[in-house]
Amino acid sequence: MPTIAVDAMGGDFAPEAAVEGVASVSLNTDIQCILVGNERRIQKILESVPYNPENINIVHASDVIGMAEDPHEALRRRRDASLLVACRLVEQGRAAAAISAGNTGAAVLACARHFPMIPGIRKAALASVYPRQIEYPGQDYLALVLDVGATVRCDASELVQFALMGSAYARRVSKVAAPRVGLLNMGREETKGGTVLAEAHRRLRTLSGINFVGNVEGHELATGRADVIVCEGLLGNVVLKLLEGLAEVVVDLTAAAGQRSWRWRAGLALLSSDVGRLRELTNYASYGGAPILGFEHVFIKAHGRSTGQAIANAIKVAAKAARDRVPEEIRAAIAELR
Amino acid sequence: MKARLVFRRAQTPVAPAPRLVYLWDLDKTYLKSDFDSLRELVKIPFEKAEDKIAAPGVTALIRGLRNFATRNRREVRVYFISASPPQIARAITEKLALDGVVYDGIVFKDQLQRLMHGKFRHLREQVGFKLTELLKSRRQEPPAAREYLFGDDWESDPLIYSLYADAVAGRVAPDELADVLRALRVDPPLIDEACALVKEVDHADAVARIFINLERRTPPANFHSFGFRLVPTFNYLQTAACLYEEGVLDQGGVAEVARSLLEDSAYSADRLANSLADVERRGHLSHSAALLLGESLRVRQLLPDEGLPRRMRWRAWWQCLRARLRAPQPPAVAAAPASINYRAMVAGELPAESHSAG
Repeated sequence: MPTIAVDAMGGDFAPEAAVEGVASVSLNTDIQCILVGNERRIQKILESVPYNPENINIVHASDVIGMAEDPHEALRRRRDASLLVACRLVEQGRAAAAISAGNTGAAVLACARHFPMIPGIRKAALASVYPRQIEYPGQDYLALVLDVGATVRCDASELVQFALMGSAYARRVSKVAAPRVGLLNMGREETKGGTVLAEAHRRLRTLSGINFVGNVEGHELATGRADVIVCEGLLGNVVLKLLEGLAEVVVDLTAAAGQRSWRWRAGLALLSSDVGRLRELTNYASYGGAPILGFEHVFIKAHGRSTGQAIANAIKVAAKAARDRVPEEIRAAIAELR
Repeated sequence: MKARLVFRRAQTPVAPAPRLVYLWDLDKTYLKSDFDSLRELVKIPFEKAEDKIAAPGVTALIRGLRNFATRNRREVRVYFISASPPQIARAITEKLALDGVVYDGIVFKDQLQRLMHGKFRHLREQVGFKLTELLKSRRQEPPAAREYLFGDDWESDPLIYSLYADAVAGRVAPDELADVLRALRVDPPLIDEACALVKEVDHADAVARIFINLERRTPPANFHSFGFRLVPTFNYLQTAACLYEEGVLDQGGVAEVARSLLEDSAYSADRLANSLADVERRGHLSHSAALLLGESLRVRQLLPDEGLPRRMRWRAWWQCLRARLRAPQPPAVAAAPASINYRAMVAGELPAESHSAG
C-alpha cells in the first residue's frame, strides 16, 4: 500500500481532525501515513484515540500556514510549514501522495514548487467532486468539476487539457471506462460563451479518446449528463461554493421547518431515513477531497472544514489515485494530444 | 625454586543478581484467543493445541528473555496465569511445548468447583482470583526477585497488576485493599485471603514493569492514571524494546522478535520502524536506546534503510556513538507511580481502562 503524507496542521479543525482521520485509517486499512506537523501536539492527540502505530509515522514541522494567509508570502516566509514538508516528503520519494485541508492557494503553489509538472501541461487544475443524479446503471453518483480555483482565466487549449486530465482521473479513480465530458457554458449551442469557449468546444469535439457530450448548462450540473465538467477556475469556484451553500440551506430549512410545527416534525420523522440520505449525499466529508491535477505526483486537497472522517476519506482517495497511477494516465493522454 | 609474589585483589562478596520472574496472562496476551462472541467462547474448550495461535512475536520474546537470563547466569522463572478452566490445561501445555516455550508454572481458574458451590457470579470474576494467585506465587519467590508482568487490555489486568505491585511494595495497606476489592464486588472469602497474603509477603518494590498488550487498540492515554510503571504496547517488538532498555534482553533477542514478526506474521520493515518510533515518542524507550536498537536492527536488515544523505548519515552515526557511550543501564528502582488512588479509581473518579470485576 502507498504511503500518504498528511499535513496535520492545515484546516479549521487541525490538528485534531487530521490525527483522528489518520488514526481511523490506520485501524481499518494497510495504508501507511506520515503525519506532518507539531510532533508533540500530534502525539498527544494520537494517544487519546484508538490507533495502530504500525501504520503511522510522524515527521516534525515547526511552522503552519494559516487559512487566511497570502499563499506567496506564506511560502516564502514559512519554509518549515507542515504543508511544504509534506510536499517535500513526496518529492523525496518517502511518500506517494500528499493531502492537506489547509490553505488552497498555498497547496497549489506548494505543488508547483515541489512537484514537476507533467510534460505539456500548461496550468494545473484543482478538481472537485459533487453528488448528482444518475442517468444509467453503474454511473458514478459523483461528478468531477475542474478547475475550481487553481486558475482564474484560461484559454481554449488549457480547457482542453483540463478535459483530458479530468477524463483520465475519472477513468482511474471512478472506474468509468469512457467518462462523459461536458464544457460548462451558458447554452448548448457550440458558438455560445465567447471565442474561448467556442474554440474549446471545437477542439474537444474533434478530439479522439475523449467522450465529449458538448456544452453543459447550469441546470444540467445536477443531472447525470456529464461525468466531468470543464470550466475555468473563477466559474468553477463560484459553482462549487453555490452547490455547497445550497446544500447547507436545504438542510437548515428542513431543520427550521421541523421546529416550526408539529406536522412538519411528524412528516420529517417519517422521512428521517431519506433526509439522512440527503444529508449524507450533500456531506462533503463523505467524498474525501479533490485532486490537484497536472503534476507528476498526487495531491488531494481536502475541504477546509474537514472532520476526521473527511480526512480519512481523503487519505483513501489519495492512496487510490497513487496506486492507480493517475499522473501516468494523464501523461499518456497529454502525450497523445501533442 | 623461584618465589612468586602473587597479588590478590581484595575480594568483596558480590550479591548474586536477583531472580527474574516473568508472569504472563494467557488469553489475549500469549494466545490470540477469540471469544468476542458466545459461539467463540464455547469453542475454546474443544480447541486442540495446534488450533491455538500465539500472539505475533510472543514466543520469540519469552525464549529471548530466558536465554538472556541463562547466558548472564541469572535465575529466571516463567509463569502463566489464566482465568480459563483447568479442563483446557492439556491443550495449553501442548501448545506451549509446540512453541518451544519453557515455563515453570501455570495456574488455571477452577470454574467447575465454583459452579458446584453455586457461585455463578464469580465465574467471570478475575480480580480476586488473579490477585490471590499472584500473592501466593510471590510467597515462593526470594524477596529481591524482580517481576515483569504481562497482560492485556480486555479485562482488568492493568488494575490487578498495579494493585498487586503496590500491595507487595507496601504502598497499599490491607484495609485499603479490602475497600477496593469490596468496591469491585470480589467474593468476600477472596478479599480476606488477599489481605492475609499481603500481610505475609515481604514488602519490596518487586514489580519492575507491567506490560499491557493493546489487543483492543485501547488509547494509551487511558492508562496514564496507572503511572509510568505500566507500559501499554501495541506489539511485542515494542515490549521487547522496553525490556532491552530494562537490561533483561539483548539486541539479539529484540532482533529475534522482529524477525518473527516479519517472517511469521507478515509484518513489513516499515511497520516495525513505525512501532519503535511510537514507543519512543510515548516516552517508554529512551532516544539513545532507540538509536542503538534501530542501528542493530538495520544492520540485520530488519528495519528499512533510512536512505539518508551523506551529511545526515554522519550525524546519525555520531548520535549512535554517543548513545553507545551512554548505553542503557537497568533502572535501580522500579518506575513506580508516586501513588495511585485506587479508591477513587474504582469509584470511577479517575479514568482507568476496564477495571470492572468481570
